[in-house]
Amino acid sequence: MAPTHSDPRATGRAAGDPPASHADDRATGRPPASHAGDGTADRTAERPPGVANPARVAYSGATGAGASQVAAVLEREGRSNGGPALRVALVEAVDAWLAELLGDAGPGIALVATGAYGRREPAPCSDLDLMLLHTHDAEEIAPLAERLWRPIWDAGVRLDHSVRTVDEAIAVAATDLKTALGLLDARHVAGDAALVTSLRERALERWRATARERLQQLRAACKRRAERHGELAFLLEPDLKEARGGLRDGHAVRAISATWVAAGLDRRGQAAYGLLLDTRQALHLELLEQGGGQVGRARAAVDRLSLQEQDAVAARLGEPGAEPLMRGVHEAGRTLARALDQSWRRVDARHAGPAVRRWRRPVRRQLAGGVVAYDGEVLLAAGADLAARPWLALEVAAEAAGAGMPLAPQTLRRLEARPPHLPEPWPPRAREALVALLGAGASAIGVIEALDQAGVMDALLPEWGRVRCKPQRNPFHRWTVDRHLVETAVHAADLVRGVSRPDLLLLAALLHDLGKGWPGDHSVTGARLAATVGSRFGLPAADRSVLAELVRNHLLLADTATRRDLDDPATVRAVARAVGDPGTLALLHALTEADARATGPAAWTPWKARLVEELVRRVTERIEGRPAPAGEEAPGVAVSPGTAELVGRQGLALQVDGEQVTVVARDRRGLLWRVAGVLALHRLDVRAATATTAEGMAVITLSADPRHGRDPEWRLVTDDLRRAFQDRLPLERRLAEREAAYRQPAPLRPPPRVLFDDRASDLATVVEVRCADGPAILYRITRALDASGARVLSARIATYGAEVVDAFYVLGPDGRRLDGPPQRAALVTEVIGALR
Amino acid sequence: MKLITAIVKPFKVEDVKEALKDVGVVGMTVSEAQGFGRQGGHTEVYRGAEYTVDFVPKVRIEILVEDELAQEVIEALVKAARTGQIGDGKVWAMPVEDVVRVRTGERGPDAL
Repeated sequence: MAPTHSDPRATGRAAGDPPASHADDRATGRPPASHAGDGTADRTAERPPGVANPARVAYSGATGAGASQVAAVLEREGRSNGGPALRVALVEAVDAWLAELLGDAGPGIALVATGAYGRREPAPCSDLDLMLLHTHDAEEIAPLAERLWRPIWDAGVRLDHSVRTVDEAIAVAATDLKTALGLLDARHVAGDAALVTSLRERALERWRATARERLQQLRAACKRRAERHGELAFLLEPDLKEARGGLRDGHAVRAISATWVAAGLDRRGQAAYGLLLDTRQALHLELLEQGGGQVGRARAAVDRLSLQEQDAVAARLGEPGAEPLMRGVHEAGRTLARALDQSWRRVDARHAGPAVRRWRRPVRRQLAGGVVAYDGEVLLAAGADLAARPWLALEVAAEAAGAGMPLAPQTLRRLEARPPHLPEPWPPRAREALVALLGAGASAIGVIEALDQAGVMDALLPEWGRVRCKPQRNPFHRWTVDRHLVETAVHAADLVRGVSRPDLLLLAALLHDLGKGWPGDHSVTGARLAATVGSRFGLPAADRSVLAELVRNHLLLADTATRRDLDDPATVRAVARAVGDPGTLALLHALTEADARATGPAAWTPWKARLVEELVRRVTERIEGRPAPAGEEAPGVAVSPGTAELVGRQGLALQVDGEQVTVVARDRRGLLWRVAGVLALHRLDVRAATATTAEGMAVITLSADPRHGRDPEWRLVTDDLRRAFQDRLPLERRLAEREAAYRQPAPLRPPPRVLFDDRASDLATVVEVRCADGPAILYRITRALDASGARVLSARIATYGAEVVDAFYVLGPDGRRLDGPPQRAALVTEVIGALR
Repeated sequence: MKLITAIVKPFKVEDVKEALKDVGVVGMTVSEAQGFGRQGGHTEVYRGAEYTVDFVPKVRIEILVEDELAQEVIEALVKAARTGQIGDGKVWAMPVEDVVRVRTGERGPDAL
């Protein structure tokens, strides 16, 4: 019902003015009495004088009493609220008006409403979708159609009209999805009711008969719409109709249920849908009032609830403010998106019949112990014991995100039925999996959202509920707090190569704004929360305090860089005082960038990046000018008494204690890569390693994790180690074969980096390799180091989720530190090449 | 009427805004800018990687004022933006032919 005033004739006319153009139309010449009814006079009398509703102007022109009544409805209901009463009254009034326009057309002619009006859900600015249904010749019907549409145009209403026979309507619907969906909502307004009934029956029958194909089209349309308009649940200025989780998704649920495959909206879904209808209605009324009867924005944007209208819309709906309104809207969006997902799952279950059956069976591929990829989804193996191994919930999620696949519905149902209860502190595997999930990049978003819907996020992080769907009301932010946190982690995943502790960066990204769920300064509250959550995650005390420090200072760099004089030594001093060491500063730098990028397009510009970079550079210089902190020079590792005994035997020995594997062997060049290669061959993922020497023997201590949960035959491992040391094992070839069997398309990860740290050791050059985890990664790096001529004195291997940060203390072939640029360049080339 | 454009250090924006309010300026446009003057670009070594700083981040402020206010505004601006260090920026003024307030259609000094 749209007073858009594209036609100047329709504007500015008062109710009593004579119609300007179609004065002699038969339609307008009709006496208004029959349709205006008794109620009209009463309602008109109720209206206080002098309150002009702009909407009235549109309807009060050429079209007689029917239009006046529509205007009166808008004026009366529009002033008060945006509830369902307005829709009911509006439909009644428009129906009456249209019946008046059609008059007594005789059998074989009917006026049909489709779209929002057909559903009895018109909004004040929505289009009027009408079809003149008939059984006559086209020429015969044309004059009637013209007589019908003209007054509607003249009233300034946006009319979407068609003139069709039942056959024509069905034929158009067969090729056009929008028309087919519209027919599902077809409603008799005036004229031959039996004709409309037959149209409805045939349209529904066709819809069901072609459901498989039509639903595929609908799904594609929903997907395109979601991509273009984003998600209602998270956007701060969402489109109430088009966004994922918006009104159109409600229509899609109904269209699916019309095929009898799935049920329609449940009570919660209905409530969510109703809330969006009310909100849209209030938005339209507000836009009309602000624009003096015109909508001061593009038609396409009329359902976008932007920040500037949120307060007024909240007031119209009787909400105490914009925040509760938006929280309700976000939650409704989430409910509808979920209802649609569930409907699609029912469709899949129902339609997974012969037509979808593949010509070859889907491949079942084991990703990790208890986690399987099957048919494009990742699921928990049937035998996986969630109660005994609650971290599997996170591992399955991490594997799904890492592989860029969704979690299987049956796995989500399992998780929902029994949310994981992790012991406190978390076992390291749980933390590792969470970090791997967060580090997976953009594919983590869908997985985390699915976990949240299944109630897993609440089980893992009870604080999450405080920020879920929480709007952030300022023009910089694009997302609700919960989604902003996830987005920050996604951006942080691109920046992991810039830091030596990717895990702390990713966890800080997830937690940095958690404090917004509580009153007070969110950085201060957040730091406290981060420390608590960090201890629940089982982080050591030192890491917890870095995490808390990152959260407390997450705005420090951005604020200082833009608001303080970088040339003033006091500025640099203050930041250096707040952030004590270069590692934390690098983490904070990455967090600052990820946070800003996840805020919105305006928050991180090259300009700001440059300022922050300059600040970080100056602070780093200042910090690094200080003496290096003590305790860095400790490449050696104390040899435990048990190991000392092995060393004393002066031969190859292997000791296994849980995940800890100790290899003792006569020291020689290339020892480390041979050990790493053999372990990889036996499907052991090395997560941490240290290498040192004692009494001419090399002692390599590794934390190795059987990839599929089954321990290897240690006797065979020892045999292979011996053969590898004697160069009787074709490691390279065997590993290549193994990798080919497991090769999976790696999602886009930042490229590897190789850094040199000259401050860490006086004796050796420290080479830090940062890259994504993968099979035999340690083997590849150490073999490349050997190939470049570098000799590894000792190593610290660390895996943080899916990121590897390995430090090697190396000497050049001449037994000296690796200082020459050509030597270093050769080493970098060799290592980067091996990681490709 | 004059268009006064100032390039200042980013952290000076608040000071400049306050100073201009005091002399009666009611509106301004602020944008992020990058460039170099005599301060120049320079080469830095940061975390082992050498990179060239071609442009220095600055803020650009634009103010439309009536002719008689121009000198006062420039003086206030310069005073507020000065740190005495290199890279404090520049201020310049240009004559303006016409100004229209979009909402009302007012023209000339009325539109300021």
